[in-house]
Amino acid sequence: MDLDSISQPELEQIERLGGADLIVGIFDPEYAEEACTSVATVRESLAALSKIARAVVICNNGNHSRALIAPEFTGENQSLAVISCSLPLPGPAATPQHSMSAAYRSVFAVGGKLGVRACGVIASQPRGLTSQWIYRLVQPVLELGFDLVAPRYTRHKMEGLLNRSVLSPLHRALYGEQLQNPAGPDFGLSGKLLQRVLRQDSGPQRGNQIDLMASIASTAACGAYQVCEAHLGARTQPPTDWMNLSSLLAEVLGPTFLEMEHQAAFWQSVRGSRPVPRFGLPEAGSEDSGTGTVDVQRMIESFQLGTQNLQDVWDRVLPPTILLELRKLSRAPADQFRLPDDLWVRIIYDFAVGYRHRTISRDHLLRSITPIYLGSIASYALEMKTAGVGEIESRIEGQSRAYEANKSYLVSRWRWPDRFSP
Amino acid sequence: MWDQIGQAFSFSMTRMLGQLASLLPGIVALIAALLISTLVAWVFAATLRRSLTSIDFNRRVAQWGFSTLAQWSPSKSPTLLVTRAIAWTVILVGFLIGISAFDITLTSRLVIRLFAYLPNVIAAALVLVVGSIIARFLARSVLIGAVNINLQYARLLSVGVKWLVTVLAVAMALEHLAIGGGIIRLAFGILFGGIVLALALAVGLGSKDLVSRSLDREAGKIPSQNVQEPVGHL
Repeated sequence: MDLDSISQPELEQIERLGGADLIVGIFDPEYAEEACTSVATVRESLAALSKIARAVVICNNGNHSRALIAPEFTGENQSLAVISCSLPLPGPAATPQHSMSAAYRSVFAVGGKLGVRACGVIASQPRGLTSQWIYRLVQPVLELGFDLVAPRYTRHKMEGLLNRSVLSPLHRALYGEQLQNPAGPDFGLSGKLLQRVLRQDSGPQRGNQIDLMASIASTAACGAYQVCEAHLGARTQPPTDWMNLSSLLAEVLGPTFLEMEHQAAFWQSVRGSRPVPRFGLPEAGSEDSGTGTVDVQRMIESFQLGTQNLQDVWDRVLPPTILLELRKLSRAPADQFRLPDDLWVRIIYDFAVGYRHRTISRDHLLRSITPIYLGSIASYALEMKTAGVGEIESRIEGQSRAYEANKSYLVSRWRWPDRFSP
Repeated sequence: MWDQIGQAFSFSMTRMLGQLASLLPGIVALIAALLISTLVAWVFAATLRRSLTSIDFNRRVAQWGFSTLAQWSPSKSPTLLVTRAIAWTVILVGFLIGISAFDITLTSRLVIRLFAYLPNVIAAALVLVVGSIIARFLARSVLIGAVNINLQYARLLSVGVKWLVTVLAVAMALEHLAIGGGIIRLAFGILFGGIVLALALAVGLGSKDLVSRSLDREAGKIPSQNVQEPVGHL
């Protein structure tokens, strides 16, 4: 774990503090405001919590040069202290996922050193950060005994597509817990779970290759920790960079598949799934609404281009029946373009198996899924064009069930990739 | 006179038989070297074949992207190709050792030159193998990247890159083997330049619309469709 990214004076300040109950990490390299704003927000959220004596705030706004904020004590409760320190800005070559993972490591390292009881991490656009976000992430840990609080966002029907179509249903099928955002990026963790993640991350086989965001929820599920979700409201997301979509897919799916490999012994024995307790209320009227149009034609064209040109790559990963289905789909007229759930799920499972067996370079494998992913978005957008909230929910539920129903396919392919090839 | 003829004949016979007798140990040594090397080659090939079969080499070769190797192989088996190549190399080395047993300056010099040339052959083979791997890797990278940014001529680009690297590897291998010399350099320059020019023309003509759309967007003439799309992935 990485304490080097904390500056020496700030490290000394943390050491002087001796211990703390809560650590809050607030990540956004573009966050230009003073660290005091974060501290003030944290203090506001802590006012509603009863069991907090000391809290530490870490930001990655890179303001080491600024004057340190000395420990501050509130007037009413002299034992409540909040200190702030900052992380260096990520280098120009660092991808958002890597820099966020490094920031996670630093916060967890400080949290482990201070022996905190709870840790809250806010990594999604903290410009809209309110004290409610921090409160909702740490309150179930501190007052209700939960070990992991995963975020639940209010989102537009065309937002969180990778989460809806892969991360969430895959986590549900593998680990048996129904989470909207298993990869966060905002989390609340107990000290117990934090220590477990720290131990696991510094293990001999893992090293720095692991993406912490992809491993937190699965570690909690495998260790039988208490997991819940908290409604955080809407999150602001940067506009999609279509030219780099394949990099995003590689950065997100790579760690997820790697985590599958590490936890294979556990998830192969999991059957079914269960909902987890939820706290807070969703923002009324905004969830899965939206009337914007999506350029479906361009996505279908990408899918068709991929089907024409990437057969040589896909046939290393996908069985012949699936390749045949994809070829048939590429000839379908645009208005009838539908990627069946079972087909999509099997493709994801086959790519996970291919990733494990390194049938081709892992980077090539992950990037080559982009046209199929665009096809799945196009299919979803066409199906849900005029759908209401209820229909979208049932569509997502149907896909999640398809992941569970096809789990035996994954297990067979995982165990006997050569013998089991439909 | 007949005596003189008889003497000359007897002398040449003695000299011929003497020379043949002096060659006999060399011939025996050559036969022995060939027999031993054949035996070693057979043992070596059998062990290697068993090892390669146990690791399912034929399937792995296809997985590594050398599926065409199977077509060139005897009985479509790359394992057989590798084992036979190794066996014949061992026999050839045995033959060269046997030849050097003849204490004749010409054969000795030939063997020395052949052995001195062997590292070049190995280096050339290595260059070809590594070049082939790099060509395949780069071709696949370009193909996937080009498809992901919606380029219609993705395959052409990928094939161009593959041939570019292959031609470079072949030219380097021939340079190592000291075959062709200036002709190879000249041919390589023409071929390489031709491929680059063809690719540049293909990309330039093919991406004309892409560039103009991009410039229009930069100049604010048309709004980007991408920005308008309310799509989020995470």
